[in-house]
Amino acid sequence: MRLLWWTLAVVSVSLLSIALSESRTLYPVQNLSLTVAAPLENGLRELADPIADFFEGLFNRGDLKRENERLRQELERLQSQVAAAEDAQRRAQELEEALGVKESRPHDEFVVADVIAQDPSGVKRALAIDRGSKDGLDEGMVVLSKSGSLVGTVSRVYEDFAWLRLITDPNSAVNVVVLAEGDEEGSEARGVAAGDLGGRLSLEMVPAEAQITDGDLVTTSGLGGNYPRALFLGSVRSVEDKPQALFKKATVEPAVDLSSLDTVMVITNFLPARLAGP
Amino acid sequence: MKYLVAFVGAFFAAVLAASVAPYVKVLGVTPDPVLIFAACWAMIRGQWEAMVVVPMAGLLRDLTTSDPVGTSVLALSPIVLLAVLRDLRPVESDFLPALAVVAVASLAYAVISMTVLTAVGDDVPWGTGLLWVAFPSMLVNALFAAIVYLPMRWLSPRPRAEGFGVGSAVQL
Repeated sequence: MRLLWWTLAVVSVSLLSIALSESRTLYPVQNLSLTVAAPLENGLRELADPIADFFEGLFNRGDLKRENERLRQELERLQSQVAAAEDAQRRAQELEEALGVKESRPHDEFVVADVIAQDPSGVKRALAIDRGSKDGLDEGMVVLSKSGSLVGTVSRVYEDFAWLRLITDPNSAVNVVVLAEGDEEGSEARGVAAGDLGGRLSLEMVPAEAQITDGDLVTTSGLGGNYPRALFLGSVRSVEDKPQALFKKATVEPAVDLSSLDTVMVITNFLPARLAGP
Repeated sequence: MKYLVAFVGAFFAAVLAASVAPYVKVLGVTPDPVLIFAACWAMIRGQWEAMVVVPMAGLLRDLTTSDPVGTSVLALSPIVLLAVLRDLRPVESDFLPALAVVAVASLAYAVISMTVLTAVGDDVPWGTGLLWVAFPSMLVNALFAAIVYLPMRWLSPRPRAEGFGVGSAVQL
Protein backbone atom coordinates (compact mmCIF):
# COMPACT_ATOMS: atom_id res chain seq x y z
CA MET A 1 0.00 0.00 0.00
CA ARG A 2 2.89 2.32 0.91
CA LEU A 3 4.45 1.67 -2.50
CA LEU A 4 1.19 2.39 -4.27
CA TRP A 5 0.86 5.78 -2.57
CA TRP A 6 4.48 6.58 -3.30
CA THR A 7 4.01 5.70 -7.00
CA LEU A 8 0.88 7.83 -7.27
CA ALA A 9 2.61 10.76 -5.58
CA VAL A 10 5.73 10.56 -7.76
CA VAL A 11 3.77 10.22 -11.00
CA SER A 12 1.48 13.14 -10.08
CA VAL A 13 4.31 15.45 -9.03
CA SER A 14 6.39 14.51 -12.09
CA LEU A 15 3.55 15.19 -14.53
CA LEU A 16 2.80 18.50 -12.81
CA SER A 17 6.49 19.46 -12.99
CA ILE A 18 6.67 18.57 -16.67
CA ALA A 19 3.61 20.74 -17.35
CA LEU A 20 5.09 23.64 -15.34
CA SER A 21 8.45 23.23 -17.04
CA GLU A 22 6.87 23.33 -20.48
CA SER A 23 5.08 26.56 -19.54
CA ARG A 24 8.49 28.01 -18.52
CA THR A 25 7.41 28.43 -14.88
CA LEU A 26 10.41 26.41 -13.67
CA TYR A 27 12.99 28.19 -15.84
CA PRO A 28 14.29 30.31 -12.90
CA VAL A 29 14.91 27.10 -10.90
CA GLN A 30 16.76 25.52 -13.84
CA ASN A 31 18.76 28.73 -14.28
CA LEU A 32 19.73 28.63 -10.60
CA SER A 33 20.76 25.00 -10.75
CA LEU A 34 22.98 25.63 -13.80
CA THR A 35 24.52 28.59 -11.96
CA VAL A 36 25.53 26.23 -9.14
CA ALA A 37 26.62 23.35 -11.38
CA ALA A 38 28.36 25.31 -14.16
CA PRO A 39 31.74 25.92 -12.44
CA LEU A 40 32.00 22.25 -11.48
CA GLU A 41 30.92 21.10 -14.93
CA ASN A 42 33.45 23.42 -16.54
CA GLY A 43 36.20 22.00 -14.37
CA LEU A 44 35.22 18.43 -15.15
CA ARG A 45 35.00 19.12 -18.88
CA GLU A 46 38.69 20.00 -18.74
CA LEU A 47 39.30 16.42 -17.60
CA ALA A 48 37.10 14.96 -20.31
CA ASP A 49 39.73 14.71 -23.04
CA PRO A 50 42.04 12.33 -21.18
CA ILE A 51 39.02 10.26 -20.16
CA ALA A 52 37.76 10.12 -23.74
CA ASP A 53 41.24 9.07 -24.88
CA PHE A 54 41.28 6.35 -22.26
CA PHE A 55 37.99 4.85 -23.39
CA GLU A 56 38.95 5.11 -27.04
CA GLY A 57 42.12 3.24 -26.26
CA LEU A 58 40.31 0.66 -24.17
CA PHE A 59 37.68 -0.21 -26.71
CA ASN A 60 39.35 0.54 -30.03
CA ARG A 61 43.04 -0.26 -29.67
CA GLY A 62 43.19 -3.00 -27.07
CA ASP A 63 45.48 -2.95 -24.06
CA LEU A 64 47.68 0.02 -23.26
CA LYS A 65 51.28 -0.54 -22.37
CA ARG A 66 52.55 0.43 -18.94
CA GLU A 67 55.36 2.50 -20.35
CA ASN A 68 52.93 4.39 -22.53
CA GLU A 69 50.85 5.13 -19.45
CA ARG A 70 53.87 6.40 -17.51
CA LEU A 71 54.80 8.70 -20.39
CA ARG A 72 51.25 9.92 -20.62
CA GLN A 73 51.22 10.76 -16.92
CA GLU A 74 54.52 12.55 -17.29
CA LEU A 75 53.12 14.46 -20.23
CA GLU A 76 49.99 15.35 -18.28
CA ARG A 77 52.13 16.57 -15.37
CA LEU A 78 54.10 18.80 -17.72
CA GLN A 79 50.95 19.94 -19.46
CA SER A 80 49.36 20.92 -16.18
CA GLN A 81 52.32 23.22 -15.52
CA VAL A 82 51.65 25.21 -18.67
CA ALA A 83 47.86 24.78 -18.66
CA ALA A 84 47.08 28.27 -17.45
CA ALA A 85 49.29 29.89 -20.08
CA GLU A 86 47.93 27.67 -22.86
CA ASP A 87 44.34 28.34 -21.83
CA ALA A 88 44.87 32.08 -22.01
CA GLN A 89 46.53 31.74 -25.42
CA ARG A 90 43.73 29.53 -26.72
CA ARG A 91 41.10 31.96 -25.49
CA ALA A 92 42.85 34.82 -27.28
CA GLN A 93 43.01 32.74 -30.48
CA GLU A 94 39.31 31.88 -30.24
CA LEU A 95 38.40 35.52 -29.85
CA GLU A 96 40.60 36.37 -32.84
CA GLU A 97 38.81 33.74 -34.93
CA ALA A 98 35.45 35.04 -33.74
CA LEU A 99 36.53 38.49 -34.79
CA GLY A 100 37.41 37.10 -38.23
CA VAL A 101 33.91 35.66 -38.63
CA LYS A 102 32.41 38.94 -37.50
CA GLU A 103 34.38 40.75 -40.20
CA SER A 104 33.15 38.26 -42.83
CA ARG A 105 29.53 38.84 -41.79
CA PRO A 106 29.46 42.59 -41.08
CA HIS A 107 25.68 42.86 -40.84
CA ASP A 108 25.30 40.20 -38.18
CA GLU A 109 25.54 40.83 -34.45
CA PHE A 110 27.10 38.10 -32.37
CA VAL A 111 27.23 37.02 -28.75
CA VAL A 112 30.21 34.79 -27.99
CA ALA A 113 29.47 32.03 -25.47
CA ASP A 114 31.35 29.19 -23.82
CA VAL A 115 29.95 25.66 -23.80
CA ILE A 116 29.45 24.47 -20.21
CA ALA A 117 27.63 21.15 -20.56
CA GLN A 118 26.28 18.55 -22.94
CA ASP A 119 22.89 16.92 -22.63
CA PRO A 120 23.58 13.35 -21.46
CA SER A 121 20.35 12.02 -22.94
CA GLY A 122 20.90 9.53 -25.75
CA VAL A 123 17.93 10.83 -27.72
CA LYS A 124 19.07 14.45 -27.99
CA ARG A 125 22.10 16.37 -29.20
CA ALA A 126 22.17 19.55 -27.11
CA LEU A 127 24.74 21.83 -25.47
CA ALA A 128 24.41 24.33 -22.63
CA ILE A 129 26.10 27.73 -22.99
CA ASP A 130 26.87 30.44 -20.45
CA ARG A 131 24.71 33.16 -22.06
CA GLY A 132 21.00 33.69 -21.67
CA SER A 133 18.13 36.13 -22.06
CA LYS A 134 20.13 38.75 -20.11
CA ASP A 135 22.61 38.76 -23.00
CA GLY A 136 19.88 39.16 -25.61
CA LEU A 137 19.45 35.50 -26.54
CA ASP A 138 16.09 34.18 -27.66
CA GLU A 139 14.73 30.84 -28.77
CA GLY A 140 15.36 30.03 -32.43
CA MET A 141 18.49 32.16 -32.76
CA VAL A 142 21.14 30.64 -34.99
CA VAL A 143 24.44 29.46 -33.52
CA LEU A 144 27.76 29.28 -35.35
CA SER A 145 31.11 27.79 -34.46
CA LYS A 146 34.03 30.14 -33.91
CA SER A 147 35.08 29.46 -37.51
CA GLY A 148 31.64 30.44 -38.82
CA SER A 149 29.98 27.13 -39.70
CA LEU A 150 26.47 26.28 -38.56
CA VAL A 151 26.21 24.55 -35.18
CA GLY A 152 22.49 24.68 -34.41
CA THR A 153 19.83 26.88 -32.86
CA VAL A 154 18.94 28.10 -29.39
CA SER A 155 16.20 25.81 -28.05
CA ARG A 156 15.70 26.95 -24.42
CA VAL A 157 16.68 30.24 -22.85
CA TYR A 158 17.07 30.89 -19.13
CA GLU A 159 18.21 34.19 -17.66
CA ASP A 160 21.95 33.38 -17.61
CA PHE A 161 22.16 30.17 -19.64
CA ALA A 162 20.73 28.60 -22.77
CA TRP A 163 20.46 25.17 -24.38
CA LEU A 164 21.36 24.72 -28.04
CA ARG A 165 19.90 22.10 -30.35
CA LEU A 166 22.72 20.87 -32.58
CA ILE A 167 22.21 20.26 -36.30
CA THR A 168 22.82 16.55 -35.58
CA ASP A 169 19.81 16.38 -33.20
CA PRO A 170 16.97 14.16 -34.50
CA ASN A 171 14.64 17.17 -34.24
CA SER A 172 16.83 19.37 -36.42
CA ALA A 173 16.09 19.91 -40.12
CA VAL A 174 17.88 22.57 -42.14
CA ASN A 175 17.02 23.57 -45.71
CA VAL A 176 20.29 23.36 -47.59
CA VAL A 177 21.83 23.69 -50.98
CA VAL A 178 24.61 21.45 -52.29
CA LEU A 179 27.23 23.33 -54.26
CA ALA A 180 28.73 21.04 -56.85
CA GLU A 181 32.52 21.22 -56.65
CA GLY A 182 34.08 23.06 -59.60
CA ASP A 183 30.74 23.87 -61.20
CA GLU A 184 30.84 27.61 -61.64
CA GLU A 185 27.46 27.74 -63.39
CA GLY A 186 25.96 26.88 -60.04
CA SER A 187 23.88 23.75 -60.66
CA GLU A 188 22.70 23.73 -57.09
CA ALA A 189 20.78 20.84 -55.61
CA ARG A 190 18.42 21.63 -52.78
CA GLY A 191 17.64 19.31 -49.91
CA VAL A 192 17.22 18.99 -46.16
CA ALA A 193 20.03 18.25 -43.72
CA ALA A 194 18.61 16.27 -40.81
CA GLY A 195 20.20 14.84 -37.69
CA ASP A 196 19.82 11.34 -36.33
CA LEU A 197 20.40 9.47 -33.08
CA GLY A 198 23.84 8.37 -34.18
CA GLY A 199 24.96 12.01 -34.16
CA ARG A 200 25.26 11.99 -37.93
CA LEU A 201 24.00 14.53 -40.42
CA SER A 202 22.14 13.17 -43.42
CA LEU A 203 21.12 14.92 -46.59
CA GLU A 204 17.58 14.07 -47.64
CA MET A 205 14.95 15.13 -50.15
CA VAL A 206 17.53 15.80 -52.85
CA PRO A 207 15.89 15.33 -56.27
CA ALA A 208 16.97 12.11 -57.96
CA GLU A 209 18.22 13.96 -61.05
CA ALA A 210 20.54 16.22 -59.02
CA GLN A 211 24.25 15.67 -59.54
CA ILE A 212 25.96 15.46 -56.16
CA THR A 213 29.28 13.82 -55.41
CA ASP A 214 31.59 13.31 -52.46
CA GLY A 215 33.25 16.53 -51.38
CA ASP A 216 30.47 18.87 -52.54
CA LEU A 217 29.91 21.70 -50.10
CA VAL A 218 26.62 22.05 -48.20
CA THR A 219 25.32 25.46 -47.09
CA THR A 220 22.00 26.79 -45.84
CA SER A 221 19.59 27.79 -48.60
CA GLY A 222 17.65 30.34 -46.56
CA LEU A 223 14.37 28.69 -47.62
CA GLY A 224 11.73 28.84 -44.91
CA GLY A 225 13.39 31.79 -43.24
CA ASN A 226 14.65 29.83 -40.25
CA TYR A 227 18.36 30.24 -41.12
CA PRO A 228 20.26 32.96 -42.94
CA ARG A 229 21.55 32.02 -46.40
CA ALA A 230 25.01 30.66 -47.12
CA LEU A 231 25.98 29.31 -43.71
CA PHE A 232 28.41 26.45 -44.16
CA LEU A 233 27.38 23.05 -42.72
CA GLY A 234 29.95 20.64 -44.12
CA SER A 235 30.71 18.48 -47.12
CA VAL A 236 29.04 15.48 -48.74
CA ARG A 237 30.61 12.18 -47.67
CA SER A 238 28.74 9.35 -49.34
CA VAL A 239 25.86 9.45 -51.78
CA GLU A 240 23.17 6.77 -51.78
CA ASP A 241 21.72 6.65 -55.27
CA LYS A 242 18.95 4.09 -55.82
CA PRO A 243 17.67 3.82 -59.41
CA GLN A 244 13.95 3.86 -58.61
CA ALA A 245 14.02 6.31 -55.72
CA LEU A 246 12.43 9.76 -56.04
CA PHE A 247 15.10 11.34 -53.88
CA LYS A 248 18.79 10.85 -53.28
CA LYS A 249 20.28 10.51 -49.83
CA ALA A 250 23.78 11.34 -48.65
CA THR A 251 25.79 11.69 -45.50
CA VAL A 252 27.21 15.09 -44.61
CA GLU A 253 30.44 15.48 -42.67
CA PRO A 254 29.92 18.52 -40.41
CA ALA A 255 32.57 21.20 -40.86
CA VAL A 256 33.19 21.30 -37.13
CA ASP A 257 33.49 18.51 -34.56
CA LEU A 258 30.25 19.15 -32.67
CA SER A 259 31.23 16.92 -29.76
CA SER A 260 34.22 19.03 -28.78
CA LEU A 261 32.98 22.59 -29.12
CA ASP A 262 34.28 25.02 -26.50
CA THR A 263 33.14 28.36 -27.87
CA VAL A 264 30.18 29.28 -30.08
CA MET A 265 28.69 32.46 -31.48
CA VAL A 266 24.99 33.28 -31.44
CA ILE A 267 23.62 35.57 -34.15
CA THR A 268 21.36 37.90 -32.18
CA ASN A 269 19.91 40.04 -34.96
CA PHE A 270 18.38 37.14 -36.89
CA LEU A 271 15.14 35.58 -35.72
CA PRO A 272 13.61 32.65 -37.59
CA ALA A 273 10.52 33.44 -39.63
CA ARG A 274 8.29 31.28 -37.44
CA LEU A 275 9.17 33.41 -34.36
CA ALA A 276 9.77 36.83 -35.90
CA GLY A 277 6.05 37.47 -36.37
CA PRO A 278 4.35 39.45 -39.14
CA MET B 1 23.05 12.19 7.39
CA LYS B 2 22.57 9.32 4.90
CA TYR B 3 20.29 11.48 2.76
CA LEU B 4 22.85 14.28 2.78
CA VAL B 5 25.45 11.79 1.51
CA ALA B 6 22.94 10.61 -1.09
CA PHE B 7 22.29 14.22 -2.15
CA VAL B 8 26.00 14.95 -2.58
CA GLY B 9 26.50 11.68 -4.48
CA ALA B 10 23.52 12.30 -6.76
CA PHE B 11 24.58 15.88 -7.40
CA PHE B 12 28.08 14.77 -8.33
CA ALA B 13 26.62 12.06 -10.59
CA ALA B 14 24.36 14.64 -12.29
CA VAL B 15 27.31 16.96 -12.89
CA LEU B 16 29.37 14.05 -14.24
CA ALA B 17 26.49 13.14 -16.56
CA ALA B 18 26.50 16.60 -18.16
CA SER B 19 30.26 17.12 -18.27
CA VAL B 20 32.41 14.00 -18.60
CA ALA B 21 29.95 11.20 -19.45
CA PRO B 22 29.18 12.45 -22.99
CA TYR B 23 32.87 11.92 -23.84
CA VAL B 24 32.71 8.29 -22.74
CA LYS B 25 31.14 6.45 -25.65
CA VAL B 26 30.79 2.70 -25.51
CA LEU B 27 28.68 0.95 -28.19
CA GLY B 28 27.62 4.42 -29.29
CA VAL B 29 25.99 5.38 -25.98
CA THR B 30 27.17 7.13 -22.84
CA PRO B 31 26.80 5.65 -19.38
CA ASP B 32 24.26 7.31 -17.08
CA PRO B 33 25.95 8.01 -13.73
CA VAL B 34 22.70 9.15 -12.09
CA LEU B 35 20.80 6.01 -13.00
CA ILE B 36 23.70 3.82 -11.92
CA PHE B 37 24.02 5.69 -8.62
CA ALA B 38 20.28 5.52 -7.87
CA ALA B 39 19.97 1.84 -8.81
CA CYS B 40 23.04 0.83 -6.80
CA TRP B 41 21.79 2.80 -3.78
CA ALA B 42 18.39 1.12 -4.02
CA MET B 43 19.92 -2.36 -4.21
CA ILE B 44 22.35 -1.76 -1.37
CA ARG B 45 20.20 0.26 1.03
CA GLY B 46 16.73 -1.03 0.20
CA GLN B 47 13.41 0.14 -1.10
CA TRP B 48 12.59 2.46 1.82
CA GLU B 49 15.63 4.68 1.27
CA ALA B 50 15.22 4.40 -2.50
CA MET B 51 11.83 6.08 -2.16
CA VAL B 52 13.68 9.25 -1.14
CA VAL B 53 16.97 8.93 -3.03
CA VAL B 54 15.58 8.00 -6.45
CA PRO B 55 13.28 11.05 -6.87
CA MET B 56 16.05 13.27 -5.44
CA ALA B 57 18.55 11.94 -8.00
CA GLY B 58 15.99 12.34 -10.77
CA LEU B 59 15.31 15.94 -9.81
CA LEU B 60 19.02 16.78 -9.76
CA ARG B 61 19.45 15.18 -13.18
CA ASP B 62 16.49 17.13 -14.54
CA LEU B 63 17.92 20.40 -13.29
CA THR B 64 21.20 19.90 -15.17
CA THR B 65 19.80 18.73 -18.52
CA SER B 66 17.54 20.20 -21.18
CA ASP B 67 14.71 17.76 -20.44
CA PRO B 68 11.52 19.11 -18.83
CA VAL B 69 11.80 18.97 -15.02
CA GLY B 70 10.09 15.80 -13.83
CA THR B 71 11.18 13.62 -16.76
CA SER B 72 14.01 11.89 -14.93
CA VAL B 73 12.03 11.67 -11.68
CA LEU B 74 9.38 9.75 -13.58
CA ALA B 75 11.83 7.74 -15.68
CA LEU B 76 13.93 6.64 -12.69
CA SER B 77 10.95 5.68 -10.52
CA PRO B 78 10.84 2.03 -11.74
CA ILE B 79 14.09 1.54 -9.80
CA VAL B 80 12.09 1.67 -6.57
CA LEU B 81 9.76 -1.04 -7.79
CA LEU B 82 12.68 -3.12 -9.05
CA ALA B 83 14.44 -2.80 -5.69
CA VAL B 84 12.05 -5.44 -4.38
CA LEU B 85 14.52 -7.93 -5.91
CA ARG B 86 16.89 -7.11 -3.07
CA ASP B 87 14.48 -8.60 -0.54
CA LEU B 88 13.27 -11.45 -2.74
CA ARG B 89 16.86 -12.67 -3.19
CA PRO B 90 16.25 -14.78 -6.33
CA VAL B 91 19.91 -15.88 -6.27
CA GLU B 92 22.51 -16.07 -3.52
CA SER B 93 24.54 -13.20 -4.92
CA ASP B 94 23.62 -9.52 -4.31
CA PHE B 95 25.73 -8.43 -7.22
CA LEU B 96 23.92 -10.07 -10.15
CA PRO B 97 20.43 -8.81 -9.20
CA ALA B 98 21.93 -5.30 -8.92
CA LEU B 99 23.26 -5.52 -12.49
CA ALA B 100 19.93 -6.88 -13.69
CA VAL B 101 18.11 -3.98 -12.00
CA VAL B 102 20.45 -1.46 -13.66
CA ALA B 103 19.85 -3.06 -17.07
CA VAL B 104 16.05 -3.15 -16.73
CA ALA B 105 15.98 0.36 -15.23
CA SER B 106 18.00 1.62 -18.23
CA LEU B 107 15.42 0.23 -20.64
CA ALA B 108 12.56 1.66 -18.55
CA TYR B 109 14.33 5.03 -18.36
CA ALA B 110 14.77 5.22 -22.14
CA VAL B 111 11.15 4.22 -22.85
CA ILE B 112 9.66 6.64 -20.28
CA SER B 113 11.86 9.59 -21.28
CA MET B 114 11.11 9.04 -24.98
CA THR B 115 7.39 8.90 -24.10
CA VAL B 116 7.63 12.21 -22.24
CA LEU B 117 9.59 13.86 -25.07
CA THR B 118 7.02 12.62 -27.59
CA ALA B 119 4.22 13.95 -25.37
CA VAL B 120 5.77 17.44 -25.20
CA GLY B 121 6.06 17.59 -28.98
CA ASP B 122 9.59 16.40 -29.76
CA ASP B 123 10.07 14.19 -32.77
CA VAL B 124 11.50 11.02 -31.23
CA PRO B 125 12.57 8.25 -33.62
CA TRP B 126 11.28 5.30 -31.60
CA GLY B 127 12.69 2.50 -33.71
CA THR B 128 16.24 3.75 -33.83
CA GLY B 129 15.90 5.10 -30.29
CA LEU B 130 15.24 1.64 -28.93
CA LEU B 131 17.80 -0.02 -31.16
CA TRP B 132 20.68 2.45 -30.84
CA VAL B 133 20.06 3.94 -27.41
CA ALA B 134 17.84 1.86 -25.15
CA PHE B 135 19.23 -1.64 -25.74
CA PRO B 136 22.93 -0.69 -25.80
CA SER B 137 22.46 1.44 -22.66
CA MET B 138 21.22 -1.66 -20.79
CA LEU B 139 24.59 -3.29 -21.37
CA VAL B 140 26.73 -0.18 -20.94
CA ASN B 141 25.08 0.94 -17.69
CA ALA B 142 25.31 -2.58 -16.28
CA LEU B 143 29.00 -2.64 -17.21
CA PHE B 144 29.68 0.61 -15.36
CA ALA B 145 27.43 -0.43 -12.47
CA ALA B 146 29.75 -3.37 -11.96
CA ILE B 147 32.51 -0.87 -11.24
CA VAL B 148 30.39 1.34 -8.98
CA TYR B 149 28.41 -1.27 -7.04
CA LEU B 150 31.20 -3.02 -5.15
CA PRO B 151 32.92 0.10 -3.73
CA MET B 152 29.53 1.56 -2.86
CA ARG B 153 28.53 -1.62 -1.06
CA TRP B 154 31.83 -1.73 0.76
CA LEU B 155 31.44 1.89 1.90
CA SER B 156 27.84 1.44 2.96
CA PRO B 157 27.27 0.54 6.63
CA ARG B 158 25.75 -2.89 7.08
CA PRO B 159 22.04 -2.80 7.82
CA ARG B 160 21.12 -4.07 11.26
CA ALA B 161 20.18 -7.71 11.42
CA GLU B 162 16.48 -8.29 11.91
CA GLY B 163 15.01 -11.22 13.84
CA PHE B 164 17.01 -14.24 14.91
CA GLY B 165 20.01 -15.40 13.00
CA VAL B 166 23.75 -15.27 12.93
CA GLY B 167 23.80 -11.47 12.81
CA SER B 168 21.56 -11.09 15.85
CA ALA B 169 23.53 -13.64 17.80
CA VAL B 170 26.72 -11.69 17.19
CA GLN B 171 25.01 -8.51 18.36
CA LEU B 172 23.94 -10.16 21.58
